[in-house]
Amino acid sequence: MKLPQMRTGLAISAFMHAALLAWGLFSFAARPLAAKPQDVVLTDVISATEFSQLTKGVKNAPTVETPKPAVEKVGDPKPAEEVSPVAEKPEVRTSSAQPPLPAPKPPEPKPTKKPPQKPDPIADALKREDARKASEAKPKAQPQKPIPPQPRFDPNQIAALLDKRDPSRQSITGEALAPAPPSLGTRNGADAKLSQSELAAMRAKLMELWNPPVGVQNPEQMIVKIRIQLTRDGKLNGPPVVLTSGRGTVFETARDNAIRALFMGQPYTMLSPSTYDIWKEIEITFDPRDMYRG
Amino acid sequence: MEVAPVTTNPFFSLFVQAHWVVNWAVMLGLGLASVWVWAIVIDKFMLYARTRRAMDAFEQAFWSGQSLEELYRSLSERPVHSMAALFVAAMREWKRSFENPSRSVAGLQARIEKVMDVTIAREIERLERRLLVLATVGSAGPFVGLFGTVWGIMTSFQSIAVSKNTSLAVVAPGIAEALFATAIGLVAAIPATIFYNKFISDVNRQAQRLEGFADEFSAILSRQIDERA
Repeated sequence: MKLPQMRTGLAISAFMHAALLAWGLFSFAARPLAAKPQDVVLTDVISATEFSQLTKGVKNAPTVETPKPAVEKVGDPKPAEEVSPVAEKPEVRTSSAQPPLPAPKPPEPKPTKKPPQKPDPIADALKREDARKASEAKPKAQPQKPIPPQPRFDPNQIAALLDKRDPSRQSITGEALAPAPPSLGTRNGADAKLSQSELAAMRAKLMELWNPPVGVQNPEQMIVKIRIQLTRDGKLNGPPVVLTSGRGTVFETARDNAIRALFMGQPYTMLSPSTYDIWKEIEITFDPRDMYRG
Repeated sequence: MEVAPVTTNPFFSLFVQAHWVVNWAVMLGLGLASVWVWAIVIDKFMLYARTRRAMDAFEQAFWSGQSLEELYRSLSERPVHSMAALFVAAMREWKRSFENPSRSVAGLQARIEKVMDVTIAREIERLERRLLVLATVGSAGPFVGLFGTVWGIMTSFQSIAVSKNTSLAVVAPGIAEALFATAIGLVAAIPATIFYNKFISDVNRQAQRLEGFADEFSAILSRQIDERA
């Protein structure tokens, strides 16, 4: 009596589980349990010295850089607003002899290879100014004239003929997207020899002379930031300006000591005069923790 | 850099190599437990439905004014359960006492109640049979699954140490497989616990019903005994 009923239950249960297992096998088989490979971010590790040498800007640097990908220039919208409505048409028609493109160096077909000459905003603005004056003087006649004297057809410049973009938008290397005016170096690019060693020598001297109170409860209040101006021979040019504000005798003692140290260490001969532009005004942070860190 | 072997103990390495055996044993055992639990659940569902229907039918027949002798005769021909069994047991004791030449009516009331108590206990035992399996699976299933998971994660960490690679691609599959043991344990244990609670309350309700009928029938028989004595 009992057994047949239990057998029915067992059969139903086993069938249910088998069906569930089959469903699970089919539905999960499509999705393997393997994680996707992670994206690799390549980084270079360079030392501080290498970095300071990298930022050195030289006017006559060789332009043998690796070709950079051409990108759309997104910044610097002002010249485009001024020039584009007038200078648009003539420049497109004479595209085989486009003033901005072949002017710097005609043999090179692609202007994107030469970042130093390209993004000179003043020269460009002057050029556009000339173009605008000329086009305003003779808006219709001028565009036709340049074509007969320069009939040379360069197959490499078909792309320029087909380029229907606004001529004020010029292809430019990616580095020029930075807000700073592009050059081979950065604006503040220091000479490689300014380096960390000169600053470090100055710091070391100041730290030697600085004599902050010892055994203070929380030394964070002794951090003093001072801006100084220096003359070319390494002396203070005017009184130091304390940038940190603080209260209490501890801070005041540390601040006065720091100012005293700045005066005492005065001719800072370790700073070479050739890089005077960089160190004529510097900010120095006196941090007692640096003394213990070494 | 010196590379030391990770598992130096031969006993331990034996276990590590056998990790699949352990995991599969855990998973297979839990799967069988789930099958068995559901078999019991289905069986009990049918049994309780049948018992309830039988009780309803019997109560209808009992209170229909039909002669109890006739009812007894029709029921005692075949083995019966629950309320009918209660009735048959009481009637059998009654008949034995009165058909006996030396009518032992003195302790009849006590004897009938004792017989009905025994029958109720037997019926409840029949209803409750195998419910303990549900309780056991419901409480021990998650632990067994957890054991499989812990074992799987242990071995998976061993393999990580061997491959010396901590990327997610190496760690994740082993841990996912190990967690599957816990999933099976929960899948087996959750229905077991739910249905165990439900069935226990069902059994209690039916036992109450049997007790009520036993009291009523005992009162009827007691009146009969007093009238005949």
